[in-house]
Amino acid sequence: MRRSLFALVLGLCAAAQALGEVYQTPAAFVAEVLGTVPAPRVLWLTREVQAGAAAILDHPPANLRQRYWSDGAKSVWILEEIGKEELMTAGFVISQGRIDHVRMLAYRESRGQEVRDPSFLKQFAGAGLDKADRLDRGIDGISGATLSVHAMERMARLALYFERRSRE
Amino acid sequence: MKRTALALALSCAWGVATNARAQSTDEKLRILQQEIDELKAQVQSAPTGSAAPAVPATTISGYGEFNYNNYKSDERPTQADLRRFVVGFHHRFDERLTFHSEVEFEHAVVSKDDEGEAEIEQAWVNYKFSDAMNLKGGLFLIPLGILNETHEPPTYYGVERNEVETRIIPTTWRELGAGVHGLLAGGLRYDVGITTGFDSGKLDDPSTGVRSAHQEGQLANGHDLSVYGALNYRSRGLLLGGGVFTGNTGQNGASNPLLKGVDARLTMWDVHAQYKVGGLELQAVYADGKLADADQLNAAILATSAEPFAAPNRMKGAYVQAAYHVYKRDKLDFAPFVRLESIDIRQQEDPANGLFQDPANHERITTAGFNFWVHPQVVLKADVQRYRTDATKDRFDLGVGYMF
Repeated sequence: MRRSLFALVLGLCAAAQALGEVYQTPAAFVAEVLGTVPAPRVLWLTREVQAGAAAILDHPPANLRQRYWSDGAKSVWILEEIGKEELMTAGFVISQGRIDHVRMLAYRESRGQEVRDPSFLKQFAGAGLDKADRLDRGIDGISGATLSVHAMERMARLALYFERRSRE
Repeated sequence: MKRTALALALSCAWGVATNARAQSTDEKLRILQQEIDELKAQVQSAPTGSAAPAVPATTISGYGEFNYNNYKSDERPTQADLRRFVVGFHHRFDERLTFHSEVEFEHAVVSKDDEGEAEIEQAWVNYKFSDAMNLKGGLFLIPLGILNETHEPPTYYGVERNEVETRIIPTTWRELGAGVHGLLAGGLRYDVGITTGFDSGKLDDPSTGVRSAHQEGQLANGHDLSVYGALNYRSRGLLLGGGVFTGNTGQNGASNPLLKGVDARLTMWDVHAQYKVGGLELQAVYADGKLADADQLNAAILATSAEPFAAPNRMKGAYVQAAYHVYKRDKLDFAPFVRLESIDIRQQEDPANGLFQDPANHERITTAGFNFWVHPQVVLKADVQRYRTDATKDRFDLGVGYMF
């Protein structure tokens, strides 16, 4: 009995370990969206772009260029932002200046994983930016994941902003 | 003839020089193109970095609030208070093993002659096998109600925390122990574990139910342990959940010898819901607790307390709350709210020994006011509170809260 219980616990742990916290690699996401992984394009963050990004993030962007992938009709942006203590990684697909869909690719906080919930992420589909670079719709939050929800909103705005600047 | 020869020589020399220069320019262009191609390849293959700043292994978080309470009655003093100042330290040992803590200071000054307190609100280690399975150990928050785990001022309405999750569920309620928690498929979060429990020998204030008997990880008597379990379903705008905590509290008479051999089992449970749609936010909590062996608790209190009181034997409370975001633009967010609460703490009366129910422990409270977020993490608050039983608590409150 004890052996069975021990084996069960080990099995559960192994199964849980296998799930991991990285749900999908960026390359796999790009390939899923575009059918292949094309050569990445690069958006250089000029001073002007940096200023716009900083206004969205409430902190200056830490990078000088942002890689993205595009097939001409859609572009894919892999962004990271801190929720409460840790980075989360999300993939944003943008088409004609609006979010086509969003997926959480990695979440590293010990709580708040509910932001992966498809019904939460679905709210971003169709969202664009208004003149002040805010989302043109409200996003219903998730109780207990306030900071992660805010981080997701900032990343969505940043993806749309970067995409617009990449077309200019 | 000499002139012709000279001109020919000059033109040859010019031609040679021009050709050499042309060759040199072509070569330079070729080299430059090669270098540009190499740089392009480097740019495309090199990591582009992240817009987010690098996260150090050790991070700091925090929250706090400054409150002003203006009582209608002269029986209570109007006061401004740095209610709490909390700093959190978190450390990532590796991708799976993390440490989380919060150190809290209350009422600004901590000394022998002041009201302030310094306390460790949380200090626990988490090992993450996956989102679905985490092991934790240390001093951690008990997952009952909404407020106990999510208690940063910008996350709740009202200057003061609601009374149901203060007097019935003793927020901020933490215990030493170990637990398993995680998020299952479909948005269902579970949390189960074994922890230290209450020590009914330490009861000294029935107006807050069993709050005065919680041990907060301070040399906690561990003869009687407790177990807890909670389930919460979260989805877009929706939270439905509940939890239960149960364990004996006699602690083999460690704090009061008359409780040796007395179980005094405490069982507390709650159900809660929250729904946000558009600008509307609705929230409700029902909490219920039973403390057994109240007659023996009364006898122990009578024998040792300078000011005996009837032991609480049943605690229940509920509230409903509605808020509406009437103005939300950029970082500004203004939301009036109203909350109706009911508190019912029943005590084990013993008329022969002068132990009676305190009528103030049946209370109904109406709170109305607003939260005004000037940033999603910084909030200004104002409200009025009316107490049906103890009108001396009627007041006007102002507050500022933050979290990061």
